[in-house]
Amino acid sequence: MHPILRLVSRNVTISLNPGFLIWQVIFPLVYIFVAGFAYAPLIQGVELGPKDLDYPAFLASGMIGFSVMNSTLVSGIIIWNDRRHGMFEQIMSGPFTRGQYIISNICTIAIIGLISAAFILAVGIPIFFEDVELSPFTVPLIIFGAIAGSTLFGSLASIISTRLRSSEGFNVIINTVFLFFAFVSTAFYPAQNVQEPLRTAFYLNPLTYLVDVIRAGIFGNINMFVVVEIVVLAGIAGALFVAASRLLMRLNV
Amino acid sequence: MSCIDVRHLSKSYGGGVVAVDDITFEVDRGRVFGFLGPNGAGKSTTIKMLTTLIRPTSGSISILGLDAIQNPLQVRHRIGVVLQQPSYEPTLSVEKAFEKYGMMWGVPKRVRRERTETLLEEFDLAGIRGRRNEDLSIGQRRRVQVAREFIHDMDLLFLDEPTVGLDAGARRDLLDYLKAKVDRTGLSIFYTTHILTEAEYLCDEIAIMNRGGLIAVDTPSALQGRLGVEKTIKIHLRRQRYSDIHDLLSGVNGCSRIDFDDNYSATDRRFAPSDDGDVRTITIHSAKSELALLQILKILNEAEVEIEDLSVVPTSLEEIFLEMTGGDGGNRNGGGNDHNDNGTDNSTQDGCQKGRSDMPEGT
Repeated sequence: MHPILRLVSRNVTISLNPGFLIWQVIFPLVYIFVAGFAYAPLIQGVELGPKDLDYPAFLASGMIGFSVMNSTLVSGIIIWNDRRHGMFEQIMSGPFTRGQYIISNICTIAIIGLISAAFILAVGIPIFFEDVELSPFTVPLIIFGAIAGSTLFGSLASIISTRLRSSEGFNVIINTVFLFFAFVSTAFYPAQNVQEPLRTAFYLNPLTYLVDVIRAGIFGNINMFVVVEIVVLAGIAGALFVAASRLLMRLNV
Repeated sequence: MSCIDVRHLSKSYGGGVVAVDDITFEVDRGRVFGFLGPNGAGKSTTIKMLTTLIRPTSGSISILGLDAIQNPLQVRHRIGVVLQQPSYEPTLSVEKAFEKYGMMWGVPKRVRRERTETLLEEFDLAGIRGRRNEDLSIGQRRRVQVAREFIHDMDLLFLDEPTVGLDAGARRDLLDYLKAKVDRTGLSIFYTTHILTEAEYLCDEIAIMNRGGLIAVDTPSALQGRLGVEKTIKIHLRRQRYSDIHDLLSGVNGCSRIDFDDNYSATDRRFAPSDDGDVRTITIHSAKSELALLQILKILNEAEVEIEDLSVVPTSLEEIFLEMTGGDGGNRNGGGNDHNDNGTDNSTQDGCQKGRSDMPEGT
């Protein structure tokens, strides 16, 4: 087995615990079924290109992006735990390079992100069944969104984990940043009706691009703006991946 | 044939801190090489360079015939490393941690299962195989960390103070296991410690490091032969007039140093009075122990000092180590220096230097 696959296998094993699964699966489902239907009377319909989505369908598609972002917490937690419990040094003194370690983390979160996205998509299909347009063009877009989003947020979590040593600091920063991303984005509500400057803030948030791309893939609403969002998402993901890799390459043992 | 060949190795950090300063040594295959030094001597920095975790500032490192600076990954494929700090997967059980670690090293599933069973038995971990690492005691976790390393094949094993946190029994068991492993498989071991008795028991060769530099490399017996010609005379006294003992013994010829136990006040030049039968200990170092012993017995007999016990022992590696590293590894003033811990003068009288010994006898 290739060293990266061995590290991915190890990462998946140490990441999959009941707490994480609850956070990753139960929490989004609660949001979709409770918040989705509870807010439906308040948000009558959301325009998405030629379609007029009901709120549960809009939220369910947004929760896929949200779930992808959440799954990337794994990357930060793995790196932080490895440093705290001496496994980073142990792995680096074993038959692995730092590059393999970094790529294995990105692969791990991409896998977990894809599985999470697939799960939420599968659960959400009954909700947005009428509007879904999965095709050879849109499915790759969803997969691209999940992988680019995993890379982006995984790199961000990695950067935070390399800068912080205390568990309190790590948790506070991660939760604050991700909370901001979650609620100042188009995951929960459409941007069209939001007032300035909040609307601008939405588009300073990478989760908005991730959610918009995945939503465009699910509902087949690919237009020029989505293409721009794809480019922005890929660009930010690439830049953050390079930054995280550089920090990890320089991480002291 | 050497498995480690280090030439003029140095490591400096910013601010002019020199952690390792131009060290050169060689380790033969199939041997246990002890790397001794007090805290902060540069042992861990050296082991991190040898295991390719950090790059040296200058010098060369050859591990198993490979250039460790140019080919770190090839080196890492052939070595095992137990670092000084704990390393564990907190949420995995002991058994699962072994299994995953073997998988990470590419050990076939059947082999790692067999080895896991064997190691759990050999390291007395079978009873805690299902417990999560985060729930283990420090000693148990350390045993798991050391045992885990044997799940994969290697030609050279680096052990950085592996017995820290282990109780006496577990420590001896580990040393015996390592000895047997070396005898059985020809494994080479690079072993850092500051516990001298471990090095004496386990190592074929010893290097002593202090303040970033190597100050001796030799076999334990050669070090003792070269530097330990002195013997140690220990005298235990009970219920005595201790006040004159300093002056009495200062007349002994041929001794290099006299150490008194904690009850001795260098300022007052006397032991604290004792009415409860406490034993007071005096330690005398002498290269001419027979001559010194006769004089001591004569002096104490004439002074009607009651001797509870008396022994003459070869100077231990520990004492040699303390002597070579300045009595304390260079971190504080000690018995071998010109001033004792009280800051009072311990200048030599009649060839005998007085000090106060804080070290326990062995470990």
